[in-house]
Amino acid sequence: MSRPSALRIFVKTVIARAYPRTVGHARNWSWVVIEIVLPLIGTVAMVYVYRALRAPAEYTGFVVLGGTLLAFWQNIVFDMAGNFIWERGGSNLELFTVAPTTFTAILLGMALGGIFYTAQRAAAVLLVTSLLFQVHYRPAGIAPAVGLLALTLLALYALGMLLASLFLFFGRSAWHALDGMQEPVYFLSGFYFPVHSLGAYVAGAASIIPLTLGLDAIRQVLLPGTPVFLAPAWEAGLIALQIPAYLLSAQWALRMMERLARRDARLSMRWV
Amino acid sequence: MPDLIQSAAVQTIALRRVYQSRRESVVALDGIDLSVARGEIFGVLGPNGAGKTTLIKILVTLLLPTSGQAFVDDLDVARDFQELRHRIAMVSGGENSGYGLMKTREHIWMFSQFYGLSSRVARARIDELMERLGLTEAADRYVSALSSGMRQKMNLIRGLVTDPRILFLDEPTVALDVGAARDVRREVRRWVQEDPTRTVILTTHYMNEADELCDRLAIVNHGRIVAQGTPPSLKQQVQQDVIVDLQLTLGRDLLTELRRVDGVTAATVTQQDGADRFSLLLADDGVLTSVLGIVAGSGREVLGLQKRDPSLEDAFVKLVGRGMAEEEAP
Amino acid sequence: MQVRFGGFGLTTAGIQTWRGLGASARLGWQVSSNWTSPGVFLVYSVLRPISAALILTVIYQVITRGRASTYLAFLITGTAFWSFVQQGLSGFANAILDDRGQYRMLKYIYIAPLPFGVYLVGRAIAQLAGAAASAVIVIGLGTITLHLPINPLRANWLLLGVACLLAFAAIVAIGMAFTFLLLAGRDTHGYGEIGAGVLYVISGAIFPIGILPGPLATIAALSPLAYWMELVRRSLLQAQAYQMFPGLSDVDVLIRLVASTIGTVVVASLVFRWADRRGRQQGYVDRDVQW
Repeated sequence: MSRPSALRIFVKTVIARAYPRTVGHARNWSWVVIEIVLPLIGTVAMVYVYRALRAPAEYTGFVVLGGTLLAFWQNIVFDMAGNFIWERGGSNLELFTVAPTTFTAILLGMALGGIFYTAQRAAAVLLVTSLLFQVHYRPAGIAPAVGLLALTLLALYALGMLLASLFLFFGRSAWHALDGMQEPVYFLSGFYFPVHSLGAYVAGAASIIPLTLGLDAIRQVLLPGTPVFLAPAWEAGLIALQIPAYLLSAQWALRMMERLARRDARLSMRWV
Repeated sequence: MPDLIQSAAVQTIALRRVYQSRRESVVALDGIDLSVARGEIFGVLGPNGAGKTTLIKILVTLLLPTSGQAFVDDLDVARDFQELRHRIAMVSGGENSGYGLMKTREHIWMFSQFYGLSSRVARARIDELMERLGLTEAADRYVSALSSGMRQKMNLIRGLVTDPRILFLDEPTVALDVGAARDVRREVRRWVQEDPTRTVILTTHYMNEADELCDRLAIVNHGRIVAQGTPPSLKQQVQQDVIVDLQLTLGRDLLTELRRVDGVTAATVTQQDGADRFSLLLADDGVLTSVLGIVAGSGREVLGLQKRDPSLEDAFVKLVGRGMAEEEAP
Repeated sequence: MQVRFGGFGLTTAGIQTWRGLGASARLGWQVSSNWTSPGVFLVYSVLRPISAALILTVIYQVITRGRASTYLAFLITGTAFWSFVQQGLSGFANAILDDRGQYRMLKYIYIAPLPFGVYLVGRAIAQLAGAAASAVIVIGLGTITLHLPINPLRANWLLLGVACLLAFAAIVAIGMAFTFLLLAGRDTHGYGEIGAGVLYVISGAIFPIGILPGPLATIAALSPLAYWMELVRRSLLQAQAYQMFPGLSDVDVLIRLVASTIGTVVVASLVFRWADRRGRQQGYVDRDVQW
């Protein structure tokens, strides 16, 4: 029986699954409000904390860049890591499984769609807070920062794919676990302060989250006076290593997830 | 693999599935042997919890059997699941799939892409199927704005658009109005007739649907097949019985008492228009005297009494021991 | 009909209301904690506020570089007590929106004889009880590990209790009104976070409201939350408290808290009544949520 190649199905799945992410968010402006306003509020509050402490001006820049990348972490937590739980609740997961495609392609499509719309939200937060608080960036650092951001996002969304498969086994506690992941990661990744402040051991351990290294490297190339945890080139190298590591782990976890899910009937189990 | 498997669209051998939890283990399927020929619409009938949906889930590769084997289109569902997924589709009743912010046409297109269909072919098929099911007007409507009937038609189109060899329908007309259910049944029948190699496996609660649509049926209870055959052959099982509908005024429970009467093969009761309607399967006409004696003793008044031809529901009641809607006695 | 309990007379409707309130609080607790054991629930409940406190501690230490300051205690107490606003507004709003969208139960509760407002207050009490646990843990850990100048024997518990009761009334009123406004939307899950976020900025939880730009500072001065935070710090930290209103005595701050709470409850009640009427006109309460 002639049938489409695996590659063709993979590519088509990626495009098709990215589609609702892009058009859906364009059609539902309520989420735009949440995704821009929430990081904006957090950023503004932290800037005022620094002002109350009479901190040097560059700290405002640290907070603004942290607040910008925060949109991506929220996207990873709620739209990637928690996605299969949500899809299972709406019976999509069963249909994804029965189709001759792969979970990897579906997650990759979600990731691309997620990056597309989250980048717009992040840009809006960056623009508004930079103008509001008069943050100055080093012009020569802009191109390297964009490169570092792209690298960081690749690693981050690969981690998101891994988390998506792991969280499918959380059952009822999944949303609470995801919710509980927010502030601890804001702390460990140094969203509101240079990660150097955590000390080498904690910052080193926190580097397992690609945002820790990515955010630090971007701060270093854009904002003069950023305390150095590792040189940006080293940080870029480590992030580059994380990409295949997370992708392969995600592949393994997805295969494992499907096998266990078929055995234990978890693909259609709903927790309310 | 026996020759029979080669020719069957679906074949199961001693299929068993046990759900294991910390507290208990539940046997959902207990040795199912089934063979469905290509081109058939095969129905699986059974009360709630009989194991119908578990059977479908195993056949569509969502669930592994605990033991036994299942083959779909000559492929082992446990081993060859990747290849099998190219050849099947599944539509469940009351399914809430999709994304509310996508339009109907977009939703179906998205799923067609997961099967590698070219967008051009997919759009043409979607348009054709939408027209056939009377859904064209809703093509550009958001999925969240569809009525349940429209939504189920959309789900059916999603199942058909990839042109599967075998279509699995799990309660496809549940909670649909008469018109929408009729449209769905008509399209399923047409789809199979269009190509004799296509096969449909259907689970349903509705006797009329099974009788009207299915070439053959299996009646499942407690994870076992209690009977299988064509609807007329199943009705044959109650051909020897005298079937009586007895309408009584409301009063104390008589069902248990009537079931105990010697010669009453099966009995069910439903309430209609403020009266109890008992359907009784009797071994012969003489049993009616004993039945009417009990009714007289209960003080309930007879509103109507008539003999009728056997239906599929009568066969079901006789085989399973209770009506489809009736809860199992504890 | 009237039933006598000791010296108090209660009508049957009154008893039903109290029972309803208790049942709603129990239900709220069960729904929010039914997914796990109490221990794990507590871990998840305190993880966020503890991490938030850690973020602020690191910020404080990076900038002050060990210089002694009363501002760290300001940050930790503000973060700990902020849980009440977070839970009373965001947690509460999400719980009610889940009652409608996920569990599809809100319509049945709405048409029950128990006044709907009583049900909402009961659910809010359950949220506040969860917040209390995390506040105690954050303050306790902060006092032990960061040596915050909190001495339980010298704290003004009466002032703290009165201030918290007033603030809870304001938080519940704001939460109820805000949630009813959110019911107007088909997909407003998450908007509670925005409401809490806005209050975060104007409440003096982590920085004094005086450094806010003019209009925001004025709005902050009208809200009861900043006065509540001030009294929380004064009652726990006594003379070591970093004061947002150094020119005002405890009594002055308390008077402002009472006045702003009354104003908030009145405005919130009006908004609630309006939103309730509008909700029935538009059919929001049983709206299907599908994204």
